[in-house]
Amino acid sequence: MANYKEAPLATQPKTLDPAEYFNLSPDYRRAEEKRAALRAQLKRQYLEQLNNPHRKALIEDPALTRWTYARTNNNYFRPTAKTSLIGGLFGVLPLFVLYVVFKTDRVS
Amino acid sequence: MLKVLIPTIMLFPTIWLTSPKWLWTTTTAHSLLIASISLTWLKWTSETGWTSSNMYLAKGPLLTPLLVLTCWLLPLMILASQNHINPEPISRERLYITLLALLQTFLIMAFGATEIIMFYIMFEATLIPTLIIITRWGNQTERLNAGTYFLFYTLAGSLPLLVALLLLQQSTGTLSMLVLQYSQPLQLNSWGHMFWWAGCLIAFLVKMPLYGVHLWLPKAHVEAPVAGSMVLAAVLLKLGGYGMMRMMVMLDPLSKELAYPFIILALWGIIMTGSICLRQTDLKSLIAYSSVSHMGLVAGGILIQTPWGFSGAIILMIAHGLVSSALFCLANTAYERTHSRTMILARGLQVIFPLTAVWWFIANLANLALPPLPNLMGELMIITTLFNWSPWTILLTGLGTLITAGYSLYMFLMSQRGPTPNHIMGLQPFHTREHLLMTLHLIPVILLVTKPELMWGWCY
Repeated sequence: MANYKEAPLATQPKTLDPAEYFNLSPDYRRAEEKRAALRAQLKRQYLEQLNNPHRKALIEDPALTRWTYARTNNNYFRPTAKTSLIGGLFGVLPLFVLYVVFKTDRVS
Repeated sequence: MLKVLIPTIMLFPTIWLTSPKWLWTTTTAHSLLIASISLTWLKWTSETGWTSSNMYLAKGPLLTPLLVLTCWLLPLMILASQNHINPEPISRERLYITLLALLQTFLIMAFGATEIIMFYIMFEATLIPTLIIITRWGNQTERLNAGTYFLFYTLAGSLPLLVALLLLQQSTGTLSMLVLQYSQPLQLNSWGHMFWWAGCLIAFLVKMPLYGVHLWLPKAHVEAPVAGSMVLAAVLLKLGGYGMMRMMVMLDPLSKELAYPFIILALWGIIMTGSICLRQTDLKSLIAYSSVSHMGLVAGGILIQTPWGFSGAIILMIAHGLVSSALFCLANTAYERTHSRTMILARGLQVIFPLTAVWWFIANLANLALPPLPNLMGELMIITTLFNWSPWTILLTGLGTLITAGYSLYMFLMSQRGPTPNHIMGLQPFHTREHLLMTLHLIPVILLVTKPELMWGWCY
């Protein structure tokens, strides 16, 4: 494990620096190596798709899909005390305030 | 009126009898012919409110601009749908264009109606082709939800309208708008009358949409295919505005008191929906919320019932119809290339599509109401009349204008400027058809700067 070399597409993470070697536990080092290997595979997959001259379609990014789904579908809203307060303060109270303002301004 | 209605009805045989090779060419040419005939309506010579050759269909300075907008939009819708409908079997293509033409027929009859019941029937009838277009040809599974919201919000709003119209028929004996504008002001002084007043207007407020009942609009606009979005944004919202303008004639003097909640909802809606626009990730959703914002301003202008309010409302309706439809077409071009409506995905498009960046620029400038475009003129007239109504509204409308400018620029900068992502370099170049579509949207807006009398309504 001490001889982890840099891969062509994955630079050496700081935690696998041989100078840091004796600060870390073996389990941690193994986990970091596995993560670095996964990152390298993902990056290789992306670059293969990016540089494919016959590619016509978009490269799909599952993180983007998840993010847009989370942003657009409001399944994560729950009516709690705080959200109800904010909703009432910005959605209901201004209507009454404005009614009072306009009414007094026009009647007087 | 018949010189446009009969060619529109003859569009149905055109669609079903042309050979598949010539379908798009003939339908586009036929509808362009109808649009140019409708342009002859813009010259009216009489000074009265209405010009009619028969008792049932009329035209006047209020509804002629809306009629011309409707007729102008059909060839644009057919042009815009050409790409995404092409892979389908031929009979389904014909069915799609038939639905668009059916919508057109109902809209012409709705805008030209002199009897309020005919207007109501056509108002309801336009729901059906739109529902079919949204739920059958939309792109995501949410389209079913969107169609349901669209149908039931509008239906729930318009059933009280039917009851109110029948009551009006009982009390005045007629429902022809030509006659009703001369009738005596009705005695409206009880709770029942207040419900009648609300019943008359709720349908149109839902359609406009007013801020509290606007929830159907983002769903319907986002899930609809491009022609559906175009016709929804450009014309169907204006049906609500037009209906309100016609009904307000008869609803005095109760409107002075009862209009307060709706004016307040409309004004607060401008700010709230404008702020939501700033946080959107979906491009079509942003344009849909900006539609709600502009129509909130229109609703405020109509409910004030002053001549400037009405004029401003019509001008803003026409200008917003053209510009919003243009923005939906642009969003569709991005969608057809990347199959995603996410704004941060299709960024930096100015580098690869420079001419389209010009269209994006002009459309966004029009959306944020740049002078001398008619968007600004309409907004200014409405803001002025609201200021006259109560000086405190300037806070809301001023802030609304600021937020509108904010999100329009945000839309432009997000889609055009910035680094082009590496992984979308292989996009199709822009077709001439798409450039033609954009010019046909934006040239009328620019030309209307020179002759706004066409749009002013009867109050100039």
